[in-house]
Amino acid sequence: MDALPSRQERLRIAATAARDLLANVTTDRWEVFVKTSLTRHVEVAANRPPKVTEVDEFGTAARTYRGDRTGFGAASGAAPDAARRAVEGALGSEVVSDFDPLPPQRLLGTAAAATVRPPTPDGWAAHVSGELAVALLGLSEGTIELRRSILQEGVFSWLLTTSEGFVANHHGITTSLLTEVQIRHRQAGVWREWFHIHDPDTFTAETVAARIVNRTLLTQNRIATDSGLRDLILDPEVTAQLLASLAPLFLATPPDRDPLPELLNPDGQLASPVLTLVDDRSDPTAPITGPCDGEGLPARRTLLLDRGVPRHRLASYRDAIVCGETPRGGALRLSYRDYPATGLANLLVDNASGLPPARLLESADRALYLLRPLAPIMLDLAGDGYRIVASGVWLRGDEVRGWHPVVELQGSLSRLLRRIEAVGTDLAWFQTDHGCVGAPSLLVRRQPVVG
Amino acid sequence: MDLDVAVDPPFDSRWLDDLANVCSMLARTNPHLVDLYLERKLELRAVSSGGSQWVEECWTEGAATRWRFPSRTAMTARSGVSTQDVSYVLGATGERVVLPTSRPVPPADIDPPRGWRKWACELAGRPSNGRTVVRFLSRQGVVVGPRRWAIVESPPLLMVEIERITQTALLGVWDHPNLNRWLRELVAPPPARPWHPDSGLSVPVLFTAGTAGVLMHELVGHPVESDLVLSGDSPMVALEEAMVTAATIHITDDPSRGDLPGAFSHDDEGLQAEPQTVVSGGRLVGWLCDQDGGERLGGPAGRGRRASWNGPPASRMSNLVVTAGDTPRESIESGIDRGLVVTRLGGATLDPVSNRLVLRVERGWEIHAGRRRRPLGTIELTGGALEVLAHLDPTVGSDPTPDWRLGWCVKNGVPLPTGSESPSLLAHRLEVL
Repeated sequence: MDALPSRQERLRIAATAARDLLANVTTDRWEVFVKTSLTRHVEVAANRPPKVTEVDEFGTAARTYRGDRTGFGAASGAAPDAARRAVEGALGSEVVSDFDPLPPQRLLGTAAAATVRPPTPDGWAAHVSGELAVALLGLSEGTIELRRSILQEGVFSWLLTTSEGFVANHHGITTSLLTEVQIRHRQAGVWREWFHIHDPDTFTAETVAARIVNRTLLTQNRIATDSGLRDLILDPEVTAQLLASLAPLFLATPPDRDPLPELLNPDGQLASPVLTLVDDRSDPTAPITGPCDGEGLPARRTLLLDRGVPRHRLASYRDAIVCGETPRGGALRLSYRDYPATGLANLLVDNASGLPPARLLESADRALYLLRPLAPIMLDLAGDGYRIVASGVWLRGDEVRGWHPVVELQGSLSRLLRRIEAVGTDLAWFQTDHGCVGAPSLLVRRQPVVG
Repeated sequence: MDLDVAVDPPFDSRWLDDLANVCSMLARTNPHLVDLYLERKLELRAVSSGGSQWVEECWTEGAATRWRFPSRTAMTARSGVSTQDVSYVLGATGERVVLPTSRPVPPADIDPPRGWRKWACELAGRPSNGRTVVRFLSRQGVVVGPRRWAIVESPPLLMVEIERITQTALLGVWDHPNLNRWLRELVAPPPARPWHPDSGLSVPVLFTAGTAGVLMHELVGHPVESDLVLSGDSPMVALEEAMVTAATIHITDDPSRGDLPGAFSHDDEGLQAEPQTVVSGGRLVGWLCDQDGGERLGGPAGRGRRASWNGPPASRMSNLVVTAGDTPRESIESGIDRGLVVTRLGGATLDPVSNRLVLRVERGWEIHAGRRRRPLGTIELTGGALEVLAHLDPTVGSDPTPDWRLGWCVKNGVPLPTGSESPSLLAHRLEVL
């Protein structure tokens, strides 16, 4: 792995090359983003040699605004040729724009970011896999075995600079673990779980194993079905997918296409007062961190839903202009290949007043515990509808009545959100199509279960 | 339309000869080298969102080597295809690598189609309720091994994503003669007064307009991929040579179909593209293997596919083609007393825990007394995977049709273009969720 100064030097050289090229054309305003990353995946599976994948990636992106035209280009490779391609791509792709999409200098700045820890040592993946396999067998009394684990670690650095001389840079590291387990002696039955590892020093295989075992063993119960108006307990994974599908409500939207007003009650509530949501880019323990957003606006914690009432919406600078929002640093740029776009970074449920999962179970009566979604959760925001297809477990108090392999729920979205009665303390991070979501269990009262 | 394999290599051919010789020399001292892979990609995007519009141009290049040691398998990849980048990945295991001092002739740029930007901006700019992205994707690769190299040529693709109430998309080969018709279908509004059948309704379902290809992609395509077979995840593990469906069903995976999005001239491990039969006369006759899977299952390789230079190849299908029968679709439809017709699917998943299939129907019809009645709203259909396959009706339509809706296939988080073509097929044992 290259030393950090070497990578920083490569960033600086590439950014300088792009800047010099842009300075030679009469570009009014520009922005250059350079990123380098070294990712390592170690896959450990029973009875197979480990698979190790190392990827060293370097890329440059340029965004320009000349007169009334704007463009975006990106190219990979550390060679000056990549900087040239990115700049030529930006200039060559220019189209007419009604406004300057680059944020003004006065909005740019940085906040304090997390300090970088060292990568995990060689052999840590095999060590974790071994410990996890033992913990799974122990906690499940020999029922659940680990088939495969993949440790994913990425060390990255990026640099953002603009025509006005603003410079921001960041160095970070992310670590996660993907596990695949199965119930022994049962044909088919693979469970996959993803874990964000903020600090490998405090990581324990037993904690991860307990989370896997608690859910997986529930599918060993006899099959049972039911329908009607029932209490629901959403596993954190189902909560995360539900909140991710609500993402459009928390992102800037042109007023003429905004479904949010129709979903509010006369008091302006979208959801029950127990639900508070933030997009937290300043939390050093969250999966996505940095000193600023994808365009250089300082990283911050944005309150999206305050005790059920919508407060602010995320927007890139471009979308803020188009939708009449205040720019708050809502742009994401996960790769140099991507145009900075409005998006959730770390959507987090405030569970400071949450209940332990056992209390949620006690509170529910004849409830359906939704284990995991089987298909993307479908929302009809304009029509106030939702449709969840999931695998679940029927409960009577704390007694498990049976496993329902495929169950469907559909009804009014606003009623679902306003009938959330409690959030759990069991918050975990999940990767979704709409960014990372930190979600706990939810208790929802009386929802229509189709069967 | 077949792929023309006599194409210009995407890199200087003399340089590729030199690299093949370097690999050959390296293999003498380090026999664990599997191959070197080089790739260049161009992605153009025209984006329309909130009344504003822009164009993005993205060039990516990368090199990767694979190694197979007794104690581990490894892949080292790096962005860029310069001599330094190639030296880095070839020297990843500590071997001293000396590349020829002659610099390769710079490859010609991948040219976007003439007039693409204007056409794509017009398309993206059509009114919709949300964001529209029109993508042009072109990829060229080369697999270099000791003393040989092979070009990985695949057709340039068009992908259109439109956000409405839900997202809908199109994937097709650029310049496909049906592209304009598919685009019209993509933007056509849903029926004004759709019918939602009761949950639990179990009636015959006729999959038309290429949607049976998506059904087979889930029921047959993935379960015969060698990694799922070897891991025991496939429901078909113990069914080789068994009758798995109606005796009239023949299914081939055909990467040489250049009109479908999953086409390639060689797979990403350098093996020539060859059609492979997976179901013959209803009997399961083969697995789709990458090299590793081929060695372990004793079958032909040729389905090692990479999503990009920075990922290892894995066994993936290309274009799943169901052989047409001789019954007109109208004739099958008129024989259904009470059932459903599916004309467009918006999603399909196979749950690995329960082995249940879930299909999201975007468009379709109720059939009553052989005639189409009410248009369907968005519904889900579900059924046990093997059960649905085993109870397919032996009547096969005479209307082979490519699917344009769901070719962008994601497996284990890795997206790849795939294609399918199928005549109309009648399924039983599905029920409305």
